[in-house]
Amino acid sequence: MTALLELRQLSGGYSPIQIFQNVDLVVQPGETVGFFGPNGHGKTTLMKTISGVLEPWSGDVIFEGRRINREAPRGSRRFRNFNYDAVTRRRMDPKAVARAGLIHVAQGNLLFPEMTVDEVLSIAPMAAAGREKGNRFGLTSIHSLFPRLAERRGHKIRFLSGGERQMVSIAAGLLAVPRLLILDEPTLGLSPKLRLELCQSIRAIKDMGVPLIVIDQDVAFLSALIDRLHLFDHGRIARVLGKAEIPDHDTLMSMLFGAAIT
Amino acid sequence: MISFDTFLAVASGGLVLGALYALMAAGLAAVWTTLGIFNFAHGAFIALGAYIGWQLADAGGAGLGLTAGVVVATVALFGFGILFHLVLVRPFERRADIVTVSVITTLAGTAIIESAINLIWGPRSKQLARLGTGEIDLGLIRIPMGDLVLVAVVAATLAGLGWFLGRTRTGRAMRAVSQNREAAELMGIDVPRLYALAFGLSAAMAGLAGIFVGGLRFMTPTMGADPLMKALIVVILGGIARFTSPIYAALLVGLVESFSNYFVGLYWTPAVLFAIMIAVLYVKPSGLFGHHQRTL
Ligand SMILES: Nc1ncnc2c1ncn2[C@@H]1O[C@H](COP(=O)(O)OP(=O)(O)O)[C@@H](O)[C@H]1O
Ligand SMILES: [Mg+2]
Repeated sequence: MTALLELRQLSGGYSPIQIFQNVDLVVQPGETVGFFGPNGHGKTTLMKTISGVLEPWSGDVIFEGRRINREAPRGSRRFRNFNYDAVTRRRMDPKAVARAGLIHVAQGNLLFPEMTVDEVLSIAPMAAAGREKGNRFGLTSIHSLFPRLAERRGHKIRFLSGGERQMVSIAAGLLAVPRLLILDEPTLGLSPKLRLELCQSIRAIKDMGVPLIVIDQDVAFLSALIDRLHLFDHGRIARVLGKAEIPDHDTLMSMLFGAAIT
Repeated sequence: MISFDTFLAVASGGLVLGALYALMAAGLAAVWTTLGIFNFAHGAFIALGAYIGWQLADAGGAGLGLTAGVVVATVALFGFGILFHLVLVRPFERRADIVTVSVITTLAGTAIIESAINLIWGPRSKQLARLGTGEIDLGLIRIPMGDLVLVAVVAATLAGLGWFLGRTRTGRAMRAVSQNREAAELMGIDVPRLYALAFGLSAAMAGLAGIFVGGLRFMTPTMGADPLMKALIVVILGGIARFTSPIYAALLVGLVESFSNYFVGLYWTPAVLFAIMIAVLYVKPSGLFGHHQRTL
């Protein structure tokens, strides 16, 4: 069985600062995996590299058995000062990644401030064009998943609350008919009530059979949702825990830092 | 000081001028909002459109009539805009200093286009016929048919642009790219293609504007310089919060120019316009109708 997503020795960052190095990861079809780790250790950077927004420095990203990055340019020193796109092509094309069905719902995505909710949702299925016939996530299923979005259809994104914007972001991801959906800190900065609502929606998305990679700081939410948890520390996957092995938040933090934090 | 009839004539002249500026500014703004760069070759596009139109329409060229000139100039400029983007903007897109670099490359493009026009059509000035002949009596005022056609064509073009940006998927995707490029990429939107399309549409609008300019003034290879400056004033004055903001600003600039020409004379009008623009920038940094920069 080919893995859904495979990372081989993936490294990257914001040139010249490397953020993560030699990350290996395999996600099998039907799996839901989680990432947990302190802020600023490179989880978001890793996900942006997977979706092609950032260039990988080395290593490969393989999605459904197909490598979606190009080889690192050979003789790259010769071309370093040569700027023409045709020669130094991007090693990854975010459009191609999204159209292949690897959909990344970015952390704190501000989306398009001057567009209405409906307008944003109307362009979201573009990533599924030519790949999926008969979209299984219509606007009606989105509205039953996020009833708030039905109420706020005609509102511009910049007038939405953070939680509502997050819902639009996830809804847009679903309309792209993901074969794998990456949710980067979907509940960050939400009120407890809204957070609960969103966690339920994410569980519902999992129950629809959408494979997920979820990054979150809420261990209880993650452990109920996922099959495996990757502890991310200093740009590396420090440990992998099976569902049964996931402890509570404090124990997890001490696992990462070696000592209990009180 | 000014009779009612004169007032109406000056005002209607200003509105016609404003409509023309709106067409130019909307084209300029389409590139600025989508790509985040300022295309200094927009004026040269206007000149190129006028000359291609002349080549088709004038008896000295193919003599096929002005309608053929309008169609061919618009379509040709659409293609030319895409080519221009491919050769002079896109190769530098991933540089951190793209905004500065594109100033130089688009200025270079201007020089090249103007030289090419000089080479092909010569430096002697030409003139295009106007779209529409005769005058029409509107009761209070008689205005030239050409002015009426100009306003109608501009209104239809801008309405079409509004429909494209607001109603079609591609147009909405273009707005999405202008508002948040990274989020648009994550949605699978083909950003380079939309950049090319924005350039093509912008150039097509410049080409159309060129035909009208050619009917109002003598055509020279550098005829686009003044319209470019006016479009620039309009875009900065109005801001680009919505695609309609430059339209209001254009009508305002047209009226101010018209009355300023009447009261203080042709010579001082650019200074008046710039003074107003600077004053507006003091008070409203993002333009009269703007609340923030770079959206469509
Ligand atoms: N645009 C950027 N340019 C340079 N450095 C960045 C940028 N964004 C984030 N970083 C740095 O990269 C590191 C990893 O950040 P991030 O991937 O967001 O971590 P996490 O998602 O685990 O909280 C941080 O130290 C942060 O300061
Ligand atoms: Mg993060």
